[in-house]
Amino acid sequence: MEAKTSGLSRLGSAVSGFFAVIARFFSEFGTAMAKGDLFVKLSLLWWGAGYFRRRQYVKAILMTLLEIAVIVFTLNFAMAYVPKFGTLGTVQAEQVFNMQTMQTEWNDYDNSFMILLFSLFSFVIWFAAAVVCMRNVVNVYELQMQAQRGKHINTFVEDLREYLDKKFHITLLSLPVLGIVVFTLIPMLLLILVAFTNYDQQHMPPTNLFGWVGFSNFVTLFGGGITTTFGYAFVRILGWTIIWSFFATLTTYIGGILMSLLLNSKLTRGTKIWRTMLVVTIAVPQFVSLLLMRNFFANSGIVNTICANIGLTGFLRDIGLISTSYIPFMTAPGWVHVMIILINIWIGIPYQMLIATGVLMNLPTDQIESAKIDGANPFQVFKSITMPYMLQVTGPALITDFVKNFNNFNVIYLLTQNVFVTTNQFMANSQAKETDLLVTWLFTLTQDYYNYKMASVIGIMVFIVCAVFTLVGFNFMISGDKEGTYQ
Amino acid sequence: MKKLIALLLAAVMVLSLAACGGSGKTAETQAPAADANAPAAPAASGGPISLTLWGAEEDQALLAELVEKFKAQYPDQTFDIQIGVESESTAKDTVLTDVEAAADVFAFANDQLNDLVAAGALLALDGDIAQVLPAYAGKTIDDVKAANGEGSVAAASKDGKLYAFPMGGGNNYFLYYDSTKITAEQAQSWDGLLAAAEAAGSKVGMTYASGWYNASFFLGAGFITDMNPDGTTVMDWNGTSADGFTGMDVVKGMAAIAAHPGFLAIADGDISNQIASKAVCAVVSGTWDAGAAETAFGEGYAATKLPTFTCADKQVQMSCYSGFKLMGVNAYSKNSGWAVLLAEFLTNEASQTARFASRQLAPTNLKAAADEAVTSNVAIAASAAQDVYGSVQNVGGKFWDPTATFGQMIANGDLKADDDAAIQTALDTLVEGVTAPVE
Amino acid sequence: MSKWKTDIGTSASESAIQAGKARQKRRIFLHNAFIALLCVIWIIPIVWLVCTSFSAYSGMNTSTFFPEKWSAIHYVKLLTPDTVNQFPTWFWNTFVIACWTCVISTLFVIMVAYAMSVTRFKSRKALMNAAVLMNLFPGMLSMIAVYFTLKTFGLTNSHIGLILVYSASAGLGYLVAKGFFDTVPRALCEAARIDGCNEAMIFWKIVMPTSKPIIVYTVISSFLVPWMDFVYAKMLLNAGVSANYTVAVGLYRMLEKSLINTYFTQFCCGGVLVSIPISILFMIMQKFYVQGVTSGAVKG
Repeated sequence: MEAKTSGLSRLGSAVSGFFAVIARFFSEFGTAMAKGDLFVKLSLLWWGAGYFRRRQYVKAILMTLLEIAVIVFTLNFAMAYVPKFGTLGTVQAEQVFNMQTMQTEWNDYDNSFMILLFSLFSFVIWFAAAVVCMRNVVNVYELQMQAQRGKHINTFVEDLREYLDKKFHITLLSLPVLGIVVFTLIPMLLLILVAFTNYDQQHMPPTNLFGWVGFSNFVTLFGGGITTTFGYAFVRILGWTIIWSFFATLTTYIGGILMSLLLNSKLTRGTKIWRTMLVVTIAVPQFVSLLLMRNFFANSGIVNTICANIGLTGFLRDIGLISTSYIPFMTAPGWVHVMIILINIWIGIPYQMLIATGVLMNLPTDQIESAKIDGANPFQVFKSITMPYMLQVTGPALITDFVKNFNNFNVIYLLTQNVFVTTNQFMANSQAKETDLLVTWLFTLTQDYYNYKMASVIGIMVFIVCAVFTLVGFNFMISGDKEGTYQ
Repeated sequence: MKKLIALLLAAVMVLSLAACGGSGKTAETQAPAADANAPAAPAASGGPISLTLWGAEEDQALLAELVEKFKAQYPDQTFDIQIGVESESTAKDTVLTDVEAAADVFAFANDQLNDLVAAGALLALDGDIAQVLPAYAGKTIDDVKAANGEGSVAAASKDGKLYAFPMGGGNNYFLYYDSTKITAEQAQSWDGLLAAAEAAGSKVGMTYASGWYNASFFLGAGFITDMNPDGTTVMDWNGTSADGFTGMDVVKGMAAIAAHPGFLAIADGDISNQIASKAVCAVVSGTWDAGAAETAFGEGYAATKLPTFTCADKQVQMSCYSGFKLMGVNAYSKNSGWAVLLAEFLTNEASQTARFASRQLAPTNLKAAADEAVTSNVAIAASAAQDVYGSVQNVGGKFWDPTATFGQMIANGDLKADDDAAIQTALDTLVEGVTAPVE
Repeated sequence: MSKWKTDIGTSASESAIQAGKARQKRRIFLHNAFIALLCVIWIIPIVWLVCTSFSAYSGMNTSTFFPEKWSAIHYVKLLTPDTVNQFPTWFWNTFVIACWTCVISTLFVIMVAYAMSVTRFKSRKALMNAAVLMNLFPGMLSMIAVYFTLKTFGLTNSHIGLILVYSASAGLGYLVAKGFFDTVPRALCEAARIDGCNEAMIFWKIVMPTSKPIIVYTVISSFLVPWMDFVYAKMLLNAGVSANYTVAVGLYRMLEKSLINTYFTQFCCGGVLVSIPISILFMIMQKFYVQGVTSGAVKG
């Protein structure tokens, strides 16, 4: 109960902290605009004005250039796309062949996807420009205050030096954040927007246009739309995704700990050699090792040959577990689910073993010794000392792993693609199969069926589910912010 | 924080300026109309015409050769032709991801035609563009149509318009068998095949879990698949066919085969492996497995049309989807005129003959197909014999998953021959899934 | 069940065990036999991969463990380029991409982790929360948007584009490294600050030299990415120019229906050749890797 409250209060403080930052931002800006002199106010229109007044000429020029760049960007680039954002384009592509030039000539047609993408880019840049502009006013106002108090005003070189000292975090963060904005944030926002359009096979740019459709894709997902089985498939796939993430995370986690205890035991000879053997499995690319695994367990694969030879197949037939002349490791639901989790153990344990090895080096041995003296058996030691320690230390990583497995494309795709054919017609009618995770389903929907709108809706659902699990997980795992422990 | 954002913005600015430059380039490709009047875009002579060409891995060497010949045909014109690798069976995926970046000329299998046309990725060849053929290649589009087999032209057309040049045929499936274990007589029917295989302690293999294969039973019994103008698929398998069979009759026939101990259901894509591992003495597959079958069956290597199967106590000849390899021109190609000429050149009689020589792809060109070497090829002869019963595949994207599942259910024995209600429900669900609206 | 559990990483039981040396020996034997059994299970598929790669048969044979005829011919074939296979070129491409990816990723990760761990600024918490949220969104979905963004900059079909895809967002994966920096004693930094060091100097001269494990960890993790990914690479390198491929795309193409009969064994050879350098890298760096991943995992 205590953990829960602390988790919720964490969330609460995160939210309120966020609003506090915004509120402070605006109040500072308001103060500056109200109390600033003419040049401070002018800075809103001419970004260099305030610096010019305080004789920071280099800064004034830089800010002016920046402002010009924003204006040029707006006029030359943004205005070609943003005005069409409301409709996502209206001009259909048309072509005429010109015999003279031997070329096809096109009209100046709209591409809905590009309009969406570049409008988003423009919004992000404008947002950044607005923040810079407002911060600039505040900054110039501070300069005014400094000047009024007769304090020293930094030269340009001194300003630059700040970036290696007090503002070092800006130097560190600017490039990585730029990368994240361009390659993660904007694509993410874009696909969220696509969920509200009809971007699908019937509306594929550049030949066709797509437009806004509101919430109708969400209605479709929950059964009110055109594909009657979409909601059916979604619920089942979501269920398997959660089961998979849970077992995939848990089995490799515990397996990794046991494996590392085993390898680091005093009885073990040649720890390094054993460990290296395990680590080699990480080094083989998954698209090779998983493909091998699936051939290994194919209906006519080696394992089946062996099982038939030793009579296991016959035995399973006799007790009615299978009805085929082979064991359908990768082709029957149930079997394939278990196999996927088992194969994932094969892949995952070496990783987890490496992590656990390191963590267990710091295991408080005195506790274990006293427990042993008290007569605790190894299982009790494991349960009440080793595991709690591991959980305390690696709990947050466990949640991250859960989310990673939730979106674990490789394992599922490489093991089941072209091998597993569902016999559930309702699933098949929605292009799904029992082994699909939400993420592989949305991959099929985009790659084979160009159904970007539904894939985006599913993507948003994945996001929501992951967010809920992360929140709940952190609530139970983290009893407080440990950040300061070592500081 | 301000400086962070300022810096960030500065960097964004630099990049977005680059974007202006970049988009300038895109605009150019999007709207060549703008520079069509410029002197930089010449007619038949002048600067090099740059074209990109995609073909299968196994076609690369041949394409390089043919492209040189193409250049030699037009000595007045300089070309810059880039050849890329793109499998015929997956061309659609790559093309549709970004049509504007796709090759000017690309090879693909005819089952992708509908999606490509729907996305506007293929240039209709008998529009205005058709004039380039008489002007430069000395033939008309009708000559091309007449030179190729009727089926191949139909497979390359949609709604009466030709969208690609037929490049090769024989992309259907038929029966390979080991004549030391199965007689030609026995190979005529499933009953004969299965009995012979069981007697020989071997199996007859076929892929059930794919609509491409299992449709052969339904089509043989007179059922159809087709496509509506809106892209949805038409399917009548849950009703009664033109030949008077019900879908249930066909399912029972298929189930009887699947339940036979001499039958082996093979996963789609696993056929070559099964042939090579000598698990089967007869198998339904296509010309691409000719090499594997020849090695595995050795002396007994033989091929023939598909067998008949028992449907409502009658013997019904299996049909198939006739498959063709086509060469299409990207609708967004800038130098579309030359692209059409190149595509036509790469699929003309001489090129098809050369392609048969290099990779045993059956020619669609009637003259090339009449060649002695072609007609004496065992696999191609069988493919042609089966093609008589074939029909052009005309289905939408929703066809594949439900039919694969349906085939898998029969192969697994999930549909019991005596449970009529279950079979009918399964058929109804199948048809519902296949004919669902396209999103 | 098994004996090994009795001795979970402790020394306390030592005295008790010394009672009988023979018993101890038997124990050690059983314990190691059990480990050997596990390791054999783990290594079987790898052994199979190696065996298959030395098969004389070029197609896929999944029904026997050992090839009928042994031969190294497919290694020779793999290393001699033909129209389908340009393995040496692919290997070099991937290597170059991997190097750049790992430099940029490592820099980004270390920079973000350091900023989040050591420096203090107003929006730090907000940025960290945003990063958590962004990590939840399935990246697979945004592929198409990333593709067109890169196309805008003319970076499709270029290795620069691929490097950017692998490394530009690397900053989001800063958590493990942040966990490491959180354990660096702050007293050291304080002392340096008193000596007149600015933040940049503390970063370079104090924290970096003690951060070898986490740097090695980040380098290895980011170095692996280009060797494993085929989805992004396939999408981005869409001009069909075989000489531009990475190992993953090239090898994956060998599995196409029309090629698998001729190239499956070469595919296995490729898998073996790729894993050799990576295995060596792991073996050399194992110690650092364990330390790095551990200190990071402490904080998650």
